[in-house]
Amino acid sequence: MIKIEELSKKFGKNEVLKNVNLQFSKGCTYGIVGENGAGKTTLFRCIAGLDNYEGKITADLNPIKNHLGLLLTESFIFSKITGKEYIRLLCNARDISNVDFERKNIFDLPLDQYASTYSTGMKKKLALTAILLQENDYFILDEPFNGVDIQSNIVLTEIIKELKKLNKIVLISSHIFSTLNTICDEIHLLQKGQEIKTVQKEGFKALEEEMIKISLGNRVKELELK
Amino acid sequence: MKDYFLLQYNMVNRQLHAAGVNPALGYIASIGGSVFLFDLAFQKTEFAKYLILLVTLSFLLKLSEKKRTEFLSTTFGDRSTHIIRSLENLIVSLPGIGVLLYHSLFLEALLLCIACAALALLSFKSTFNFTIPTPFYKNPFEFTAGFRKTYPIYPIAYFITIAAIDVGNTNLGLFAMVLVFLVALSFYTKPENEYYVWVHALTSKEFIFMKLTIASKNVTLLSLPILLSLLYFFWHEVDFILLFFFVCFLFLWIVIIAKYVTFPNEMNIQLGITIVLCFYFPPLLLAILPYYFYKSVKNLNTLLP
Repeated sequence: MIKIEELSKKFGKNEVLKNVNLQFSKGCTYGIVGENGAGKTTLFRCIAGLDNYEGKITADLNPIKNHLGLLLTESFIFSKITGKEYIRLLCNARDISNVDFERKNIFDLPLDQYASTYSTGMKKKLALTAILLQENDYFILDEPFNGVDIQSNIVLTEIIKELKKLNKIVLISSHIFSTLNTICDEIHLLQKGQEIKTVQKEGFKALEEEMIKISLGNRVKELELK
Repeated sequence: MKDYFLLQYNMVNRQLHAAGVNPALGYIASIGGSVFLFDLAFQKTEFAKYLILLVTLSFLLKLSEKKRTEFLSTTFGDRSTHIIRSLENLIVSLPGIGVLLYHSLFLEALLLCIACAALALLSFKSTFNFTIPTPFYKNPFEFTAGFRKTYPIYPIAYFITIAAIDVGNTNLGLFAMVLVFLVALSFYTKPENEYYVWVHALTSKEFIFMKLTIASKNVTLLSLPILLSLLYFFWHEVDFILLFFFVCFLFLWIVIIAKYVTFPNEMNIQLGITIVLCFYFPPLLLAILPYYFYKSVKNLNTLLP
């Protein structure tokens, strides 16, 4: 379980998160949605302990960061390190050894090549493979489907379902509503740093329609395309 | 073209400002520093001219990177790109050319001028598909990446050691050892992305100890051929060689620790000056190491509770 109470975060005078209260249970997958700048990434960074914050974040495994697999929107991969070495580095960081890289290379990545030469999608798949091999209990996946090919998206969806079966907590942010619809148990809508709505599975369809309505409005017509 | 150089000038100024250095002082210090180091090389070793050529050519090759040249070419056109590249090469080579001319090495200076003009017309791909094998694959990070970027240095260092034994010059042998340690230090001068610190399931103290242990093991592996050769051939100076080896370790440790004192920011100027002072008075290292170790542990406590 991860419990967030009265979480607030400011960057100077700019309040990015305002009194957010959320609770995540084992064996559940949660979608975090909202416009750009709504505070999704900041929320993830606070949970991971990468940013300071006001409020309280507690979990049954502490410190959370030692049990958390964090997939950032853009994985930072430095030069002259091969894919295999990147995975080994992340596994070493959690004291995981004897990893069978070839067998667990489910995305068929060229692991002996320098990871900096990978495409955006391949880098994401590499980062994902590494955090999966860390044997984490909690997962935060910030835009995991972005830039990844359709075949890998199918694999990724199945992986998330498997994590759920293994009683892990998975938090996902995504702009692709259809994928959240399939894999999430609950979706939290963030707006301007506040959690404005929690929607259960049966309400996903209505939430999607509402989001389309809010996002779209009259904008395309105002463009007066000719 | 004028705008390009103005932009480069502004970018360098911003970087100097960010490091807490007055730009004018920064320019004087970097030109003066390069000339001083090159001149020092002439005083300490007979291979100084090769060192200057090697260092300057490595900078020139860096400026000839393919993607960079392609960007210049698509933005400014081919003719302007050649002029920009020639001017850049000349600016970077000036300290080296100046020192070579000062020591009446006209042929070597001419060679550098030709290299400036020739490399302005060429570009090189910096990323090859070939993966350079490394002995540091078990703990991949600074040493794995660093070794691949600097591997030509090691045969040079070993060659200098052989030359030192051949001419019976202990100082030259110690210079080879310094070279290996300086290269290792360079792996730790830039702070890594905070993710690579955060990801460790360690306390800040354990994390820094881990960094020091890995660096010590790896640098020992690289410098062992030099150390053992020096101990065997200059056995009458065993005490001094071992002490020197130990001082090299202290410098390696202080640079690693200093990186995490200001992490995630780059090392500040005060820290840099303190380390430079230690070069003049190495015993100072014994006093500042525990102090900065404590400061680095405290600084990392937020990321590694």
